[in-house]
Amino acid sequence: MNLLQQVLDGLSSGSVYATLALALVLVHRSTGIVNFAQGQMAVISTYVAWTLYDAGVPVWGAIGAAIVLSLVVGALVERFLIRRFEGGEPLAAIVVTVGLLISVNGLVSLIWGTVLKQFPSAFPPGGVGSGSGGTIGYGTLGTIGALLVVVLALNWLFRHTRLGLAFRAVAANPESSALLGLPVGRLLMLGWGLAAAVGALAGCLVAPKLYLAPEMMDSVLTYALAAAVLGGLNSALGTVLAAWFIGVVENLAGTYVSFVGGDMKIAVPLVLMVLILLLKPEGVFGHKEVRRV
Amino acid sequence: MSVVVDEPAVMDGGGTSRRRRGRALTAVALVLVFAVFPLVMSPFANLQVTLILVYAVAILGLDILVGWTGQVSLGQSAFFGIGAYGVAAGAVHGWPVWAGLLLGTAVAGVVGCLVAIPAARLRGYALGMITLTLPVVAVPLAKRMEVVTGGAQGLNVTIVQAPGWTGLAADQWRYYVVGIGAAIVFALAAALRRGRFGRAFDAIRVNEALATAQGVHVTRYKVLAFTLSSVYGGVAGVLYVVAVQFISPETLVLTLSISMLAGLAIGGLRSLLGCVLGAAFYVVVPNLTGSVSAGQSYLLYGVCLLVVMLLMPRGVAPALGHAVRRVANRRERAAASGE
Amino acid sequence: MSTLELRGVHAGYGKAQVLHDVSLHVGDGSITTLLGANGAGKTTTLRAISGLVRSTGEILIDGRPIPSAPDAVARLGVAHVPQGRGTIGQLSVDDNLKAGALLRRDRVQARADLRRLRELFPVLGERAQSQAAGLSGGEQQMLAIARALMGRPSILLLDEPSLGLAPLITKELFVLLPRLRDEWGLTVLVVEQNADLALSVGDHAVVLESGRVVLTGTAREISGHDEVRRAYLGN
Repeated sequence: MNLLQQVLDGLSSGSVYATLALALVLVHRSTGIVNFAQGQMAVISTYVAWTLYDAGVPVWGAIGAAIVLSLVVGALVERFLIRRFEGGEPLAAIVVTVGLLISVNGLVSLIWGTVLKQFPSAFPPGGVGSGSGGTIGYGTLGTIGALLVVVLALNWLFRHTRLGLAFRAVAANPESSALLGLPVGRLLMLGWGLAAAVGALAGCLVAPKLYLAPEMMDSVLTYALAAAVLGGLNSALGTVLAAWFIGVVENLAGTYVSFVGGDMKIAVPLVLMVLILLLKPEGVFGHKEVRRV
Repeated sequence: MSVVVDEPAVMDGGGTSRRRRGRALTAVALVLVFAVFPLVMSPFANLQVTLILVYAVAILGLDILVGWTGQVSLGQSAFFGIGAYGVAAGAVHGWPVWAGLLLGTAVAGVVGCLVAIPAARLRGYALGMITLTLPVVAVPLAKRMEVVTGGAQGLNVTIVQAPGWTGLAADQWRYYVVGIGAAIVFALAAALRRGRFGRAFDAIRVNEALATAQGVHVTRYKVLAFTLSSVYGGVAGVLYVVAVQFISPETLVLTLSISMLAGLAIGGLRSLLGCVLGAAFYVVVPNLTGSVSAGQSYLLYGVCLLVVMLLMPRGVAPALGHAVRRVANRRERAAASGE
Repeated sequence: MSTLELRGVHAGYGKAQVLHDVSLHVGDGSITTLLGANGAGKTTTLRAISGLVRSTGEILIDGRPIPSAPDAVARLGVAHVPQGRGTIGQLSVDDNLKAGALLRRDRVQARADLRRLRELFPVLGERAQSQAAGLSGGEQQMLAIARALMGRPSILLLDEPSLGLAPLITKELFVLLPRLRDEWGLTVLVVEQNADLALSVGDHAVVLESGRVVLTGTAREISGHDEVRRAYLGN
């Protein structure tokens, strides 16, 4: 494995973290909540895709269907579970997402069991030559590409469509937006629905490598949280760059630093994140909050 | 202490002093029940209650940070672990329990202080993420520092044996030790809350900038709160080893931190009773739901958590307080109209 | 243009009721000023119309009762410019204006309206891409009004437009009101502390005291009224 392969593998993992992190940012921007269940919601979406694939649906169809289903379910979760906790005590909202995390984890174990499952890759096998005789898998490149597509799509949605403008207005100032006639509730549902859809994609992208299991997204969630916080919980660009950074560091540390074993791998990027946050608390791309007395 | 806003008594004097007598009687009754409990219940039940007290102390530590000053921490399980390993490693090396206790809580406090000083500038999620790193790093560290921690298998100890003259079984004796220890730290917290510390913490929680303008040295108090919180976490860890005579790296995991936070929310912020209720939820509910399969028990636990939060968003203790006040008011009004 | 009517409206925040049995009528195309001391309930009246505060009693537009949800009321053609402007600071000036027209289907006409408003308030064109939060108070007020007009409302509710503005800019704004009313087909209900200026420009006035209507009439009648002069006009 040469350095280029390592870096690209790191970018690929980082792209998965970035995708989930973007979901976290979407939810935070619309409803001001950090959804600790985002990873688990992605897991159950991925299991649904697996079930469809197992029943004979081709991979991309299964993934697509799971993404659409997640959009709907995410919207419903906001409307019927999260809505009453918005704008209230932050701890309560966090604990509700934790309850959701635990419940979905249990549900997944109950329905599909805990045995690891193979998940098909959405990309063809094989890859591109990387010099010195190694290959860079299509899966690796495809994952990075998928993230870029998500970023471009979200950017187009928010900056160049009326729906995106409505969403941004509601995210920034719900009361003013209501006075403009914007359907605030429905737009909040959209935020959660989109987040769930994006999360589903993240799950389907990482499942071939990690094997499908109820805890599959646990460490992905931790990395995604770190990336989102480094991005100030606001900036898509910051989040993606942070996630790539985390992915590459994690990968290189795991391979080249001997003290760092499999379970310690996660500590390296986190410690780096801590150092960065200590220097710049609002995140690399975040804005300092002006608090008036 | 839950802040109870006393509604004006329907009748003068008679109402409030009757209420105070009622509360004193309830307290005495609870102490009696607590004292007699282990003598009549099974070792398993004793262990459950002992564990509830252990986690209540840890959650109280978390409340000092989250409920009193409005900071956030996902690292309480790490301090819990430090305290536990302090006393366990000490015992393995022949130290007396109180030395291990001091070591464990001191290290927990020092680490907490070191984390708190730079972290005092941070807010919200940045602070959350930094504290999250603590257990995530602590678990693999504990697995590797075999000389101290016994590695992945953990440490088995035999401490706090019941003295012969008491005629008590080990689990009963440990129940009382943990109970008294918990009572001491709870009383300490209540005292802190009532004095000027409590007022300073409240001011910081409501509006830091305003608190600074009012002359409160915000950073100092935030670091103090964090240190206290980690010390309480360490104490809880020590009590844990007293109760179960075992510690392993798996105890420090992030999941425990998250569960403690959930317990805090369920019990209710800024309420001593809430800490106990939250700990009770954490200890008891998984037992009730852990029937058939792990998946089912997990699902039921999560659903219980959601139901409690949906019905009582501020926690069980405040909801109980409301209910009790309503009943007391109704009785007073009935008494007043009866006369 | 539409008529706006309140009949026996009570409104408040939980246990603190602010409005008591308020009835008033704003005619088609009228500029009506709502006067009163601080705490009299002027802002609450506007918020009750918009649905931002719960109310009982009837609120009618063109004789028909209105819904209670703020976004539904806005969709009926009621534009509310709240105290403090309510502009969305994080969005650009242009985005704020476009947000005002989000619910319109006639895109071509909306673009034409945007051009008209930029001519009326040149600063909106000059600072089109700037963040709204960076604008001065007067500029934000212009943005808020322009944004409201982008929705082509039939009723405009203005809450203390002069708040925090220099007297000269305030005067310009008020002098503009009748022109806006004519060119954009509006019925206007404006809450204002600066009674003198408002009465000089408006058609009618309603005086509130402690949440009750104590006087109604034409602007001239009210400004000539002795008690009003003493209480609000500093005479």
